[in-house]
Amino acid sequence: MSALLKDPLDTGIHQHTITALVQNEAGTLNRLVSLFRRRGFSLASLNAGDCEQEGFSRLTLVVRGDDSDLYQCLRQLDKLIDVVSVEDLQAENAVERELALIRVEPTVENRDAVFQIAGEFYARTPRASSTGFVIEISSSPREIERLISALTPYGVTEVVRSGLVAMRV
Amino acid sequence: MEALARQGVDIIFGYPGGVVLPLYDEMLKWPEIKHVLVRHEQCAAHMADGYARVTNRVGVCLATSGPGATNLVTGIANAVMDSIPMVAITGNVNSWAIGKDAFQETDIQGITIPITKHNYLVTNVDDLPYALEEAFFLANTGRKGPVLVDIPKDVFIAKTSMPFPEKIVRRGYSLPGAPKPSEIEAAAEMLKNAKRPVAIAGAGVVWSETSPQLRALAEKSDLPIINSLLGLGSMDRQDPRSMGMMGMHGEASSTIAVQNADLVIGIGIRFDDRLTGKTNGFAAKANIIHFDIDPSEFGKTVDTHVTVSGDLAQSLAAFVEAAPEKNHAEWWSEIRAWQQEFPIVVPEGTKQFLARHVLKEINDATRGEAIVSTDVGQHQMWTAQLYKFREPKNWVTSGGLGTMGFGLPAAMGAKFARQDMEVWAVVGDGGFQMTLQELQTAVENKLDVNICLINNGFLGMVRQWQELFYDNRYSHVAMGSPDYGKLADAYGVKFFRCSRREDLAATIKAAREHEGPTLCEFVVEMEENVFPMVAAGMTNDNLVMDPALPKPELAEVSK
Repeated sequence: MSALLKDPLDTGIHQHTITALVQNEAGTLNRLVSLFRRRGFSLASLNAGDCEQEGFSRLTLVVRGDDSDLYQCLRQLDKLIDVVSVEDLQAENAVERELALIRVEPTVENRDAVFQIAGEFYARTPRASSTGFVIEISSSPREIERLISALTPYGVTEVVRSGLVAMRV
Repeated sequence: MEALARQGVDIIFGYPGGVVLPLYDEMLKWPEIKHVLVRHEQCAAHMADGYARVTNRVGVCLATSGPGATNLVTGIANAVMDSIPMVAITGNVNSWAIGKDAFQETDIQGITIPITKHNYLVTNVDDLPYALEEAFFLANTGRKGPVLVDIPKDVFIAKTSMPFPEKIVRRGYSLPGAPKPSEIEAAAEMLKNAKRPVAIAGAGVVWSETSPQLRALAEKSDLPIINSLLGLGSMDRQDPRSMGMMGMHGEASSTIAVQNADLVIGIGIRFDDRLTGKTNGFAAKANIIHFDIDPSEFGKTVDTHVTVSGDLAQSLAAFVEAAPEKNHAEWWSEIRAWQQEFPIVVPEGTKQFLARHVLKEINDATRGEAIVSTDVGQHQMWTAQLYKFREPKNWVTSGGLGTMGFGLPAAMGAKFARQDMEVWAVVGDGGFQMTLQELQTAVENKLDVNICLINNGFLGMVRQWQELFYDNRYSHVAMGSPDYGKLADAYGVKFFRCSRREDLAATIKAAREHEGPTLCEFVVEMEENVFPMVAAGMTNDNLVMDPALPKPELAEVSK
């Protein structure tokens, strides 16, 4: 496809964000996931939730592969009867966000440092307990990785991530 | 039952059980729909499959929950691989018991997700009319395929006032329409400039009923027409432009022609590995045009230069219109030379009694006009090579899945559909022993199916591979058989045994004249091989020719 401007160091393997509108039926999610397993597509993340249309859901899938994997993946998804439409989102035309909850259990003297880091990342600390905090961030996956790295020295004990959600601008 | 009648279903193949009792009870009130009681649910699916292949209509099979449903699985998988329109109806335990590991409960919807075009678990009777109507619609439109509807027992019993839908509207499922004019133009331009073009026509031509267009294209552009295994019949094998099957065990001349072509036009094929050989050596000198109803087939196994998506009924018709009038005399003279040099060999001056003799005789006796089914393996390849089909929808073979035991039940399904046609099931001693219990079903229904049992005492194709690739180390391929004469007697099937070539013609004649099912056992040479052959994983340049041919060395495939 876009073979003309190929970077010689480029392996051709890229991460793609795919969004899909699907009809909610018995087995819909099963069918989607089964497709990825059966055809060997690499699924990095999957997020599904209600949308503006009753009886339908919108999914965001992050898929790793080369152009031909991506083409196959889109066509195979489109072929599923309960998939209404699929789209390969380009990063420059999309808002992409992920939600992460990070449990940090710092020593008493490090608590302020943790708060400061969270503040720098515009992260919230909705719950604190005697042993630590749950930090909440909604941002790009890269920014979330950076926050986790920054917090790791202070005792990260649990991370929960939602997977990417994306919308075309 | 009303849903089935609405769809014009005249026959269903099934097997009763606990949770489908309400449906079987209702069935007694619907004499217009014939129910065929099979002896194993797998065969119900294969019969529905055979019925669908010879009619291009939806075949229907029915099974109860649990083991009944799981027994359908092989038949459904077979149908999805070959894009066969089929609706499978299964019963399930009461909806409130689902998920509780009730007696004979199984998650047949979950099990069949990867092997159906779509499937349903209908837990509310109000959804049933729409689901059944849509199931038939999906099965027989677009790229066809099996659809399963799983119905709990209480839903069978419940009544609904919901009407059947007037029209199926499913967002995101649109029927493939006309091709883009630009695609047709690009394809026509490529054909215009080609000096050595070939077309490979597949099952898509059969299902879209575009054989006449294919034949018109061949004539207008003087185009050699090769077939995939499942495409056989789309081109009359007596037509001089018909080149037969290509690929692993296809006509060597066809495979060589593709390797030397400058243009390959795939029409309703999916460039399956048995056809292409190792894909990076497939048709290396050619541009490739691909016509298909299913865009996910484009570029799946081979890279293409022009794709034409849409229903062949429209795209192939448009292409015939746009295609240039051509004459490829020079190209044809090369092809004729390959055909002369590398024919499919049926040895004449031998004392041996070979499977090829049997299949050639069946072809000659029936003039290529019968419906013929097979299992998978050597007998299947010999049939594909030697049976010269005249018309589409007469060839019933398990292509994609390669299912042993398919031949007999599929032939029976075909015969139920086409009582007017002569039907032969060509089976091996291995496959026949997987589904021979259906002899009883054939007898009960006085079904005039002739079974050509090629008995070589081996799982022939596996043995051939062990001979060629495992240095003659035969591991568990010797196939013992019962006394088929006694077996046929026990079932009440007319039996013929033939172990000499001299008796061949008379045996086939007698079988054809007999009314009702016949079992013809041909005791043939044990170690006969199928040639030509491209070994799995090799490119199509590596053709191994029949050793009986004058030049047994590798063909001069690449010039």
